[in-house]
Amino acid sequence: MRLSELLGAEVVDQAGRSAGRVHDVRLVQDGPLVGGFGASLRVAGLIVGRRAVGARLGYERRDMRGPLLVKLLVGWLFHDGRYVAWDRIRSIKPDRIMISGSVADLPEPGPSQ
Amino acid sequence: MAGRTLEAGLQLLDRQLVDKEGRLAGKVDDLELTFPDGGGPPLVTAILAGPGALSRRVGGRFGGWLEAVANRLREGDQRRPARVPFAVVKEIGSAIALNVAKEELETYRLESWTREHVIGRLPGAGDAPE
Repeated sequence: MRLSELLGAEVVDQAGRSAGRVHDVRLVQDGPLVGGFGASLRVAGLIVGRRAVGARLGYERRDMRGPLLVKLLVGWLFHDGRYVAWDRIRSIKPDRIMISGSVADLPEPGPSQ
Repeated sequence: MAGRTLEAGLQLLDRQLVDKEGRLAGKVDDLELTFPDGGGPPLVTAILAGPGALSRRVGGRFGGWLEAVANRLREGDQRRPARVPFAVVKEIGSAIALNVAKEELETYRLESWTREHVIGRLPGAGDAPE
């Protein structure tokens, strides 16, 4: 599989409700050791939202520092950003990712690092 | 064990690859994700670089054309972009530092083909510094 197959895919729950599209994929460095890099990167979850503009700038994350006005504007734009932990994913089909439970239970994307 | 976390699109995609001698060696266009044999979440096993990977992200007719050109430039007939295994990655920062020379990478084939067949044929190319 490729990262590009996840990015932009629509995330839906089993009742067919949409949480929006995949804006980014969160990785955590705790996989098996690989070469000189150390622990390999494992997919931890998906950052999902309904609005696309600005997601690639990183403003979706709550820990992002930046000018106050930009932060407030982007905070308003991205209040619907959600995090899908990998263990909630039930199936991955082209452009459509099905999750367990309800989209209403999805938490906000917490800070990375 | 809690490892560091990073966001793939924000902190890896489009970053420059830099080889062990500090030379530019391509750009991250996509990542190869592999499901481990024992089950569980996928692992990042390689960086995909070059127009073959980019064409998937571009999509449409232009993306298809880009992929066809990239495939013609590659030895063999495999429809895949140049693959940089994650084992040669040293560090992820504002660029991706590799612990090999760029000549050892698949991305180098595209670069050397372009230099020989396209750049080398331009008038005055022989006078250009390396």
